[in-house]
Amino acid sequence: MGSIKIFTKAKCPKCPAVKEIGTKLKKEGVSVLHYDLDTIDGLAEASFYSILSTPSLVIEDEEEREVISWRGVVPTLQEVKDHLLSGR
Amino acid sequence: MASIIDMKRNQQELFKQEVETTDMALFVRTSDEAMLGWDRQRIVDALTRETYVDFDTAKEIAREVEDLIATSQIKMITAPLIRELVDTKLVERGLEQARKMHTRLGMPLYDVDQLILHPNKENANVPHGPEATNLTLAERIKKEYALLSVFSQEIADAHMRGDIHLHDLGFIDRPYCSGQSLEYIKRFGLSLPNSIAMAKPAKHPEVLLAHMVKFAAALQSHFAGAIGWDSINLFFAPYLVGMSEQELEQLAQMMIFEFSQQAVARGGQAIFTDLNLYWEIPKHFENVPAIGPGGEFTGKTYSDYLKESQRFAEALFDVYQEGDGSGRPFFFPKPLVHITEKFFQTPGHMDFLYHICDVSSEKGNTYYVFDRGETAKISECCRLSFKLDQTDLEDAKQPWKMRYCALQNVTLNLPRIAYLARGEDSKLFSKIAEFVELAVKAHLEKKRFIEKLLSLGEKGPLALLAMDRDGSPYLRMHRASFLVGMVGLNELVQIHTGQEMHQSKQAFKFGLRVIAHMKLLVDKFSQRHGMRFVLEQTPAESTAYRFAKLDLRFHSPKSGHIVKGDISKGEVYYTNSTYLNNSAVLNPIERVRQEGLFHPLIEAGALTHIWLGEARPSKASLANFVIKTFQLTQNDQIAFSPEFTTCNRCNRTSRGLRSSCVYCGSEDVDGITRITGYFTKISSWNKGKIGELRNRYRNQPFLKENEEGIALEVG
Repeated sequence: MGSIKIFTKAKCPKCPAVKEIGTKLKKEGVSVLHYDLDTIDGLAEASFYSILSTPSLVIEDEEEREVISWRGVVPTLQEVKDHLLSGR
Repeated sequence: MASIIDMKRNQQELFKQEVETTDMALFVRTSDEAMLGWDRQRIVDALTRETYVDFDTAKEIAREVEDLIATSQIKMITAPLIRELVDTKLVERGLEQARKMHTRLGMPLYDVDQLILHPNKENANVPHGPEATNLTLAERIKKEYALLSVFSQEIADAHMRGDIHLHDLGFIDRPYCSGQSLEYIKRFGLSLPNSIAMAKPAKHPEVLLAHMVKFAAALQSHFAGAIGWDSINLFFAPYLVGMSEQELEQLAQMMIFEFSQQAVARGGQAIFTDLNLYWEIPKHFENVPAIGPGGEFTGKTYSDYLKESQRFAEALFDVYQEGDGSGRPFFFPKPLVHITEKFFQTPGHMDFLYHICDVSSEKGNTYYVFDRGETAKISECCRLSFKLDQTDLEDAKQPWKMRYCALQNVTLNLPRIAYLARGEDSKLFSKIAEFVELAVKAHLEKKRFIEKLLSLGEKGPLALLAMDRDGSPYLRMHRASFLVGMVGLNELVQIHTGQEMHQSKQAFKFGLRVIAHMKLLVDKFSQRHGMRFVLEQTPAESTAYRFAKLDLRFHSPKSGHIVKGDISKGEVYYTNSTYLNNSAVLNPIERVRQEGLFHPLIEAGALTHIWLGEARPSKASLANFVIKTFQLTQNDQIAFSPEFTTCNRCNRTSRGLRSSCVYCGSEDVDGITRITGYFTKISSWNKGKIGELRNRYRNQPFLKENEEGIALEVG
């Protein structure tokens, strides 16, 4: 399994919830990368994945290919875990 | 002011002996075709009127210049020479600012001679003729004026060096381009500030068309570039009720021929016209009261005119499909069809899509503008589009208010930044910020100048834009956009990382970082100045060539390995805007997808070309390509571009670029294809564009023969 990429912005009401999912998964050993769309790298990476709304969460494989994504919505921790497991 | 001074030789001796020479019998040919006597006081007057030089210095300079003329053996002295002699005296005194203020604008005799004899290749949409010469002469003077008087030295120097390019300097006293609503003339008729006659709102479709064409011509003389018309088939619809197929076809023909044959307008230049078309009723016009004949509300909303709107759109494409009298594609007006979620929900959309794809394959005219989700756009120029925000959608209830403009376009030379950064990331990103700031400063200076002209109201030079028929001036400055364009992202990445964008994911992502940086910067400047700075894919018809030439001069030998094209022939260019190398072998849908990843960052519009060469793919395969582009990519706009050869002897047009006519064998032929965002004859292209044309990847391996003909593969 590759990694999880989380895309957020400073002024985004739903973003803290996705950040929290990221924090929990990181503690469980999952590779989680955070991108802030108000920064150059964050906006560039979001553009690469065609992320047009925040928060967004992308699960990708080792080749940086998208496996599944949630765009502009907050998944549950379990949903993300299920996809991580099914992708193993 | 004097144009020529004739000094009689036999009077020169006398001249020297006089203490005061102003009563000498020297004759001056003035620019208003009269003879005046020599008067030194004129130099003094000019210096005190035009500069800050004090009276005593002015007198001293005038006397020195007079002495110089008197003692010289010159037989004929021209006014520009006197001015130059005066300027020399100013330079000798270190009065640099005064010299600048005293500058004479104009052109050398040799240049004017060349200009009258040879065509201008800076803009392929300008034909060669006396009107075009007038346009170019005026442009040259206004360009000099802009660089000396409108822009600060810092900005003018940055332009001259080729760090940035200030577009349309020859049209310094006008905004750049605009988007119009037909509703304005439907409601208010044709009442132009300087016109000798006022026309009430049109009662018949033909008259409405005549008003539209005349208004477009008036707008062309107030804007440097394109004039885009929003939802044109829909806004004509209330006038088309009950019209027969034949009448409708006739009207469609009139519209396209009127706009394509405006070769008698400004500088003999056809009006760069964009027609925005919809198959559906755009959501924001669904419940808007319709304006019909006589400027009266019809009592219905635009939703009630779907049938007429669709019939007119179909009729327009019937005309495009046929082409002009020689079967050539129409260069203008450009049809831009908006592909939206609602397009796919509106009955008959597939038949219409096939129809416009057939036109793409046959003639290449159709542009596909993708408005995904809730986005609504109005498009103009080569690729420029305005995304309508909440205020605009509110304006949509009174559509005549929906008129927009971009005040100016300033393009950054991205490869130049990379040469200067010498491989250091931090230097590269800070240089980008520096260049963007230059562009912003240039916009502030141009805005100040245009506001000065507009402040003179309906008595001023921009009377048309200052006219007020609905409670606000025609040009709504608070809604204006200020464009920041880019040329050569691909080469910037190549210089900085060693790879072009299509060569590795890492290089591609670096390109995204550069544009993301620019996007964040323009957003920041927008906030700071309360103005709308937006990124745009500059069409760069001549800028990509200009930047490449300048960099070959200033950044050699490195630039010699970077510029695209053929250096030995001088056919050099940088890759336009954020495009991938146009010679790169890429599946066309993959090119559309990858280039489309930049598009959400480029708010003012972007486009991907699919070069077809001489292939004629099936309408079904193009329709499939369009649908996939809408569904699977973020690309803003695409166009398929075939190539043609038109014969000047037998007036027939064939497919592909050839050196002779396939029908009569004549070598008197012209090639036709898309230069940037429009079709034109290749003979009018600049060298950089010719270099690009040679390199264009025409997707041949992806055009496969099947039972329906040739299919453009989607993969």
